[in-house]
Amino acid sequence: MTAAAVSYRAARDSALIAGRQLRVLRMNPGRLIYPLVQPMVLLVLFVSVLGNLAITRQPGAGSYREFLIPGIMVQNAALTAPTTGLALLRDAGSGLADRFRSLPMSRAAVLIGRLASDAVIFAVQAVLLLGAATPLGFRLRTGLPGLAGIVAVAVAFGLSVAVTSAWLALLINDAETAERVLFFPAIAISFVSSAFAPVGELAGWMQPIARANPVTAAAGLIRSLASGGPAALPLPQLACWVAGLIIVPGILAVRRWQAPS
Amino acid sequence: MKTFGQVNALNGVDLTVGPGTLTALLGPNGAGKTTLVRIIATLSRADAGRVRVFGYDVAARPAQVRARIGLTGQYAGLDEELRGWDNLVLIGRLAGLGRRQAYQRAAELAGTFGLTDAMDRRVRTYSGGMRRRLDLAASLMTRPALLVLDEPTTGLDPASRQQLWAALEELRAGGTTMLLTTQYLEEADRFADVVHVLDRGRIVASGTAAQLKARAGSQVAEIRLDDPAATPAAARALARWLQVPPGEIRTEAGTGLLTVAAHDGTATLLAAAAALAADGIAVAGLALRQPSLDEAFLALTGVAA
Repeated sequence: MTAAAVSYRAARDSALIAGRQLRVLRMNPGRLIYPLVQPMVLLVLFVSVLGNLAITRQPGAGSYREFLIPGIMVQNAALTAPTTGLALLRDAGSGLADRFRSLPMSRAAVLIGRLASDAVIFAVQAVLLLGAATPLGFRLRTGLPGLAGIVAVAVAFGLSVAVTSAWLALLINDAETAERVLFFPAIAISFVSSAFAPVGELAGWMQPIARANPVTAAAGLIRSLASGGPAALPLPQLACWVAGLIIVPGILAVRRWQAPS
Repeated sequence: MKTFGQVNALNGVDLTVGPGTLTALLGPNGAGKTTLVRIIATLSRADAGRVRVFGYDVAARPAQVRARIGLTGQYAGLDEELRGWDNLVLIGRLAGLGRRQAYQRAAELAGTFGLTDAMDRRVRTYSGGMRRRLDLAASLMTRPALLVLDEPTTGLDPASRQQLWAALEELRAGGTTMLLTTQYLEEADRFADVVHVLDRGRIVASGTAAQLKARAGSQVAEIRLDDPAATPAAARALARWLQVPPGEIRTEAGTGLLTVAAHDGTATLLAAAAALAADGIAVAGLALRQPSLDEAFLALTGVAA
């Protein structure tokens, strides 16, 4: 097969797998509560509890709520991402995995297709959160381009954590363990970052970690995209993280999926 | 050869599946049947040795092999959350069919397997038998040249088993080459052109069901007593008069039925009758019959299947 035929096949098979995932969601709308409804509830709770504590005002960067809400968006993407790994692991342990492995289909499609359908979830989640955040005091000063940029950041960040979780889940290779292990780092990384407070306000030991954290870069980029501020620092930092977290764990996850035992 | 840690799951298995035939791998749990099937279906790698499917080495050219086989594993390869249609069409399209072709083929197979009315329902609402039939249909979406079935009827009730067997009969009539693993002697006996008996990773016997039965020791004498309570006394009498170890005389508790290998045919039967008459045990019936594959299995492996 030529390279073109191989990549056509991979794209087609990935689209089929993504279609399968979206169809499963349509048949079980209850599964959308976790990625779409819970984030909005968390947003309201966080803003209601913390939003009035005018603890920190970034000079010239609007209210604390405008600082906090992008952080909550990134936190929610991080909390949703491990479901990718868990779902992939569930598939890997089912008869369906053997069926897929015995078909002459693209090996990468199982992961890429799932990521494609998860990208849709991350995008819808970001749009819903932005919609819910507006009456809570979030101002999008950059219009549609800003909105598109923010959704793109949420999707890219979410996918990079999702791919990493997919690799870790396949490495752990036990659904119950993975369930208990994968969510904790997703919670922790959003606390050791600028999601809820500027890095300068964090405990001293946290600051170097928070500065390097992709959550800090993603939240900072969303703040810049919303206010029209400079994106110079967070953009390349986030791009490096996203590329690194998608490519390396992605290749390892696909290898792990197709490895004959 | 295939090793899991210290366990030799397969050791020196050598077999050929002839085109258009149904070959059965018969063996108890842990014999290595599934391991062998997984190697053939490219899901697992042999540690040593070589498997070729239609000339393609399964380790070196897995894509070529996958394009030619259909696998029905022990666990249904279906998405429980999706409908029958979605499953068959998804699998057909992943195997390379176009959308229209996939729908047509799915409708055809649904008809063959009596699932037409269930295709709009989600698989999780299916019975075990329906699931197996849909799974078999999924393996047949691309008309594979070789169909590999790993214990296709395990866990099915007798009616579903009959339905699945009927489906397999039809496939065989259509010329599909099949490799089937089973713990059920009846299944191997009924279908297989060739039976390989697998025990602890080795093939201990190969041949047609009739040949294997013959190897179990000619014929079997069956003696039915008037009074089931006399069974132990009858077993002792037979062992003494026929000069066989007591272990070779099989009894069925409560039925008064005794069986023993009749190495000398009618002569053994007559000797048995004389033995029981001498000890004053009343006999209700005497018969000579071919051994069952069950008895053959016991004779070949030393383990009751």
